[in-house]
This record gives sequence, C-alpha cells and structure tokens, in this order.
Amino acid sequence: MSRKSKLLGRPSFYLSPALWPLIISVALFIVLPIIYIVNLSFLQRGATWGVTDVHTLEAYRKLADPTYFAIFANSLRIATLTTLACLVLGYPFAYTTASLPPGRRQLVLLLLLAPFWLNSLIRLNGWILFLRYDGVLNNLLLKLGVIREPLRLLHNQGAILLGMVYGLISFMILAIYNSVEKLDRSLLEAARDLGASPLRAFLTVTLPLTLPGIIAGSILVFVPSIGLFFISDLLGGGKDMLLGNLIATQLLSARNWPFGAVLSVVMLLITVLLIRLYRVFSGGKSIGEML
Amino acid sequence: MRKPVALFLIALLLLTACSSPTPATSPPTSPPTAAPTNPPTEPPSPPASKELIIFTWAEYINPDVIAAFEAETGITVNFSFFDRNEEMLTKLDAAGGVGYDLVLASDYIIAEAAAAGLVQELDYSLIPNAQDIEPAFLGQFYDPEDTYTIPFAAGTPLIIYDPAKVNIPVTGYASLWDPSLANSVVVFDDARLMVGFTMMMLGGSLNSTDPELIKAAEEKLYELKGNILALDYDTAHEKMISGEALAALMFTSGITRSLEERPDLEIVYPEEGMGFGIDCFFLPSGAANTANAHLFLNFILRGDMAAELSNYAGYINCVATAKDYLPQEVLENKALYIPAEILGNAEFMENIDLAATELIDDAWTRFKQR
Amino acid sequence: MRSNLGRLLRQSTPITSSRWLRLSSRFYVALLLLLTYLPVIIVVAYSFNEGRYGVWRGFTTQWYTRLLTNRSIRANLMNSLKVAFASCGIAIVIGTAGAVGMTRSHFWGKDLLENLAIAPLMLPEIILGMAYLTLFTAMKVTFGMGTLIIAHSTFCIPYIYLNVQSRLAGMDPNLVEAARDLGASPGRAFRDITLPLITPSIFSGAILAFAMSMDDVVISFFVKGVTSDTLPIRIYSLSKVGITPEVYALCALMLVVIIMAIALFYTIRKITQRRTFHA
Repeated sequence: MSRKSKLLGRPSFYLSPALWPLIISVALFIVLPIIYIVNLSFLQRGATWGVTDVHTLEAYRKLADPTYFAIFANSLRIATLTTLACLVLGYPFAYTTASLPPGRRQLVLLLLLAPFWLNSLIRLNGWILFLRYDGVLNNLLLKLGVIREPLRLLHNQGAILLGMVYGLISFMILAIYNSVEKLDRSLLEAARDLGASPLRAFLTVTLPLTLPGIIAGSILVFVPSIGLFFISDLLGGGKDMLLGNLIATQLLSARNWPFGAVLSVVMLLITVLLIRLYRVFSGGKSIGEML
Repeated sequence: MRKPVALFLIALLLLTACSSPTPATSPPTSPPTAAPTNPPTEPPSPPASKELIIFTWAEYINPDVIAAFEAETGITVNFSFFDRNEEMLTKLDAAGGVGYDLVLASDYIIAEAAAAGLVQELDYSLIPNAQDIEPAFLGQFYDPEDTYTIPFAAGTPLIIYDPAKVNIPVTGYASLWDPSLANSVVVFDDARLMVGFTMMMLGGSLNSTDPELIKAAEEKLYELKGNILALDYDTAHEKMISGEALAALMFTSGITRSLEERPDLEIVYPEEGMGFGIDCFFLPSGAANTANAHLFLNFILRGDMAAELSNYAGYINCVATAKDYLPQEVLENKALYIPAEILGNAEFMENIDLAATELIDDAWTRFKQR
Repeated sequence: MRSNLGRLLRQSTPITSSRWLRLSSRFYVALLLLLTYLPVIIVVAYSFNEGRYGVWRGFTTQWYTRLLTNRSIRANLMNSLKVAFASCGIAIVIGTAGAVGMTRSHFWGKDLLENLAIAPLMLPEIILGMAYLTLFTAMKVTFGMGTLIIAHSTFCIPYIYLNVQSRLAGMDPNLVEAARDLGASPGRAFRDITLPLITPSIFSGAILAFAMSMDDVVISFFVKGVTSDTLPIRIYSLSKVGITPEVYALCALMLVVIIMAIALFYTIRKITQRRTFHA
C-alpha cells in the first residue's frame, strides 16, 4: 500500500480522519485494559480477595514451576492439533465452496455461520447429548447390534478436539475461502495447459497462492484454542488443564488475580509472536489484508 | 469529516451516561428508584417502591414462590444472575454494594463480603418467621451472631454409587481409590474441596493448613488420577444418570437429581467426615428496597413456601415448619435428612490463610496436569 | 467484476476436477454442513423430552408452554438482541471507517494500531471483562445496556474491520482515483465506488460479529447492569441446576427464526434479481 501511495505523491505521513473513531475506541477500550492487565500482573494478591497496592515480581516467579511449562506445552499441543484438523477439514470445504456459483456460495457460508447465532454452550450440550454414555449415538449403535456395551466417547482429549474444531473451523474456512476467491484461476489453467497433473497444479500453484489464507486462518484458530476453557471442562471431563482453564481458575477459584494476569500477559506475548511470524512468512503483509 | 466523528464519539459516551434515568453523578449500578444512598440500615423509604432485585444463580428459586409473593404483595421481583460466587463478589465489590436488594450466595463468599463491608444488618422485627429456622443452620462461621444472613438451603457433599456395578463396600472417600473403579469416578473440580477431603482421609480436617499434610494429600491424590472419569463441579449427576460413572462425589442437589432418575443408586455418608455448606440471603450494604427485601425474607420462611423452595432446588430445608408440607419421600431421603449426630460433625469449608490456599491450589494444578 | 469472476469460475470447473471429484467434494461440503447442524438437531429433539436430565422420558411440549409464560427469559433474549444489533451497528461504522481510513493513511505505528484493533480476538475474555469492570467503575459510568454495548462493540469491530480490510486490499485503487479525477468528491467516490464493493464484506463480518455478541457471557457479566442480563448470562448461570429443556426449546425457536430470516433474505434477493433482469 505504502509504495503505491508514494507513487501517487502523497506525503509520508497521512492520517485519514476516518481513522479517528477506531483510534479512540482502541485507546480507551483496548490499550487501557491492556495497561490494566500488565499493571495487575505486578501487584501483590490480597489476603483473601483482590490485590494490594504493593508492586512485586512474585507472580512472575511462579512461572518457573515446571508444572506451568507442562500446561503451556499441553495447551500448545491441543491448539496445534485443533489447527491442523481445522485446516485438513476446512480447506476442501472452503475450496469447493469458492468454486460454486456465487449465489450458492453465499448460501453455503450463511448456512455454515447460522448455527453460531445460537448459544455455544447449548450447541456443545447437543454434542454431549449425542455422544454421552446413554446418548443418541450409543443407543443407535446398540440397537443396530454394532456394539454390546456403550462406548465411552466423552471425557477424553478426542472429545476436546471435536469441540474445539467444531467451534473454530468456521474461522479457518472463511480465511481460506477469501484467499481462494481472490485466486486468479487463469494461473491454474495455465499450469494445466502446460501439462501439470491436477495434483501438481494444486501443489505448485493453488497451495502457494492460498498460503496467506491458510496462515491467517491458522492464527485465528490457534490463538482462541489456547484460551477456550469450557470446552475442555464440558467435553473433556475437566481432566485437562489448558492455559485458558488455568487463567480462569486463577482469577475465579484460586483468586490469584496477579498470576492470572501474568498468564494473560504470556498469552498476549504468544499472540504477538505469532502475528510477527505471520508477517515474516507472508512478506510483510498484515493479517488483516489476508482475511 | 473530523467534527462528525468527534460528535459521534461524544454521543457514544453520552449513550452510556444516559442509559439510566438516574443523574450521571450517582454511584454506579444504582437502580432507577434509588435515592443517592448512605449504606447501612437505611430505614424503609417512605414512597414504598414496588420493586425487589435479587442477585443469584438461575433456576435456583422456585418461580411459583416468586409468583405467589408478587400476587400477595404487589411487589415485582427482578432477577440478576451470576454463574459463580466469585463473580458475584467481584461485581458487588466494584459496585460498592449498590444495585441489588438481596443476594443469595454461599457461606464462605458471604464471609468475604462481610469482611469487605458489603453487607447490612437485618431488622428481625420485620422477619418474625425467622424464629422457625432450624438452629443447626444458625450461628455459623460466616455470621456467628446471625446479624445479616438468612439461610436458604444447605447441602453436604456425599458419595453416590451404583450398587449393581460396584463390587466393593463403599464407606468413605478412601473407597473411591479402589482399583476396581478405574476410569469410573467423578469428583469435584475444586482444589479446596478435593485436597480437603483427602486431608480428612489422612486424619486432618477440611481446613488443615499444615504444608506437610497438604503435600501428603497431593501425593495421595496422584493415586486417584487413574480412577477419574471426570472432574465436574456442577453436572456430575448427568454422568451418574447416564451410567458411565460408577461412583461420584456430589453436592446435595446433584444427589437428589440422580436419585430422581436412578432410584437404584445408593448414597454414603463418608466415614472420614463430611463437608457442609449453606447458601444464604443477605442484604448488600447499598440495598435500596430494604423493606421489600425483609418482606420477601419473611415470606420465604413460611413453612409452605420453604417446602416448595427446597423441593425445587433439591437442597436441605432450613425451616422447621416446612416439615409439615414436605412429601414423605423427601423426609425419608437420606441426602436431605441426615441424622443430627452425623451432620453435627460435618465441617464447613472456611477461608484459610493465603500461603496454605496457594499451596492447595498449586497442588491441585499439578494433580490435574499429571 | 463479480460477473467476470463468475465467468472465470464456470470456465475453470472442467479443468479443476473430474466429474467424480466435483461431486464428491460437493458431497463433502454437504456432509460437513450436516455435521454442523447435528448438535442443533439433537437439541431441538430434546426440547420435546419429558425428562430433565438428558434421558429420554417421552414426548412433551411442556417446555414450550413454560417458556411462553416465562417473562424474564424473554427479557433476557430481548436484551441480547438489543445489545447485538446496537453493537454491530456501531462496529460497522467504526470498523468500516477504520478499514477505509487505514488503507488511505500511512504513519508510524499503523501496524501497531491494526494489531491492537484486532486484539480482542486474541485476549482472554475474563481478563478483558475484569479490566472493563475496573475501567468503567473508575470512569463512574453507570453499568447497563450502555456499557454492554460499548464492550460488545469493541470485540465486534475486529470482525468488520478484518473483512472490509481484506476486500479493500483486493480492490483496484485506480477505481477511486478515476472517480476522483472525474470530479467526484471524496464522499461521493466512497458512496458510489467503495461502498458497493465492500458491502458484502461488511455483511459477512456483521454475521460473525452478531454471533459473537449473542454468545458472549464472560465480558457481558462484568459490564452488565442490575437488570440487563443477557441470554447467555442466564444460560451459564444455570450451572447450579444444569441446563433445562426450556432453554433447548428457546434454542429451537431461535433456530426457526434464523431459518426464516435466511429464507426471507433469499426470497427478497430472488425477486429483486428477477426485476433487474427484466429491467
């Protein structure tokens, strides 16, 4: 963008007035809260409730405990698996949808997003009703004689993964869809005309060109999947401590607000790092341009 | 362009300020009817307001009782809901105790609220029915002189199991460690309760703060990990009803719900000792409609109303006169009517010192991570 | 531009795939959509369940009758809708203006501003909620619909912003330049050239934003006022007793409304399209 603007002879500093509402809302409702969080992470917890005014590094020292490292590792592992699953399942969906006639395309996307207008807790409960020990699926399989004993489908990491993928795949699909839609298909035709097999054409032309969408989608899936906590409680039986759970526990049950803030700061840093990485891989483009 | 944008933002900010009919200078979250208040024990305001705002969990208070109260008094009851005690206190603390007329929450958090000066004294002359409260539920640690709480419901975490599939005698917490229960046990997802019960098992108390004992309990808990099907604070009954769990630790409401669907299940008073909890009403320091709040408290302490309330919520009834209205099966329910000598030994989970709390929380985090 | 793309797409289909591949990939899309609806269908079915705890105990419509007499649950739904519409509206204005302004501006810290603007997608909700509670208390703002709308707008903006921004990035800047060269005012150029092009993106961003607003519980709890409970707050606070089939019934009714809205949207579009064809 900036190169173009320079060609058009605009000054090197220009702030469009249309940007002011965003700047003010960001300053008030995002920058201030972040400052609050960072400040909170340096405070000392109160005797039973809240925090005192004393500044300390105590909460940061807690991070040295290897348990927390294990929790980070576990969270990142589940987030990675979620992202991969969303990518593998979402890519063909997005690609096919983008190849449909325009009217159909919109309908498919609308149908994909419509359930998200319903409460997520209730939709997760739908999965529980379907998967539980005496649930719809087990009853069906028992009646069909496929199984003799009900299967234990809930309360494991597979169920957590299902819930995460279910909740987040639409972000992946939308991001990839947008990049496929922008794809110049004449390039693909050219590759095929030059004798490339469909697979080769896909690998050498489509995949690299939709990579920004893939990465943007991955970030939009990866980051929230570190933070989501009720999925692991509801579907996973609460046996897995993820970063999101840990933050929620520290703020609510353990009432250790500063440590909750420290963990939030860590999560924020992970996010910033990912966005930085994205910029490196996408040749200096911002994430917004790729969505 | 610049001006309209600025105007828009000002409008946006004004929108918040004007969203309530009270002047912008009033304290946060004051309801429309509230005069700028001086908190404690304000006498009933002369122009009797017809509103009452209750802050509690959803579906906890029987709506039929609310309807009866509204019909009898002409007062409109409005609810505001929270999901966890801690959220309630955070919210009430930030609002300086203003906004709600009655709060229904758990014992230990009320102790916190009282310590923070967020409660106000009750006027017992307005609650004659308070004399019918069972003494067992009075004079507790969170309110030794009963100055600001009215007990609403009590509960004890009990063990429930499926006698058809569990082949060992279940007598207490220790039974849950039995190898035959691999991947079949549901217990609370709560550090204080679980470390506390394990300490009881090891001869300590629910409120022990000895670091050695906490450490020992943590080690003991690791042995339980293989038996855990799920850690669940609220919906353990669903796992018991479905048949996936063979034994579980649950609060009273979960026990009554499980028995409702599965009368074949058995309950056990853990031999190592029991936990105990009471949910109480209190008037926050900035309550505006104090007269209505007292009217309501007196109303729900009537025997017939108290019976309807406890039947709906599935907890232990705290009102002596309610017995006349309770069905026989409730009176015979082992979870709801616990022999006094056993209940007498039950222990509250009290607030303990910071160092011990942190040790227990960290122990629980390590247990979950394993 | 769109019709061009459409032509390109139609041309490309025989090349991208054999007939079999195309059919199976469409089947896959249908299957995944079906899976998306599976839990919703189950919830609708269980809204007719006599039993309260997820065990099938026979057919009943009692939860629907109970729902109709429950005035507070309807108030919660209305609050949710009001907040969602208002915050989406505000987010559309700020997000769109921000995206347009961003492509036209360049200054130090532009990236920082963008990353901050989309930060609500990345921050843990609880901590944001607590920060808002502190912030609004310090600012002496009355908690209520206003604070809910402000907080929701903040996390709705990124969805609009990201969508519009991506459309603008793919747009030919010469279009606007040309309009300006032909004497159109900046406002006119925006209205006649940019706006029509970004409207679909605003729309798809708004769909997501609306969904997020209708589903938010954590932030809402901390910024809500005394009587401004939203539907998700009510649903989550059922923790002590578990979700009642009454809530499933509400969910079923909402689904009907959503399906009707989609159908209506398509009927209107079809009619208007036919008109333009005839014209």
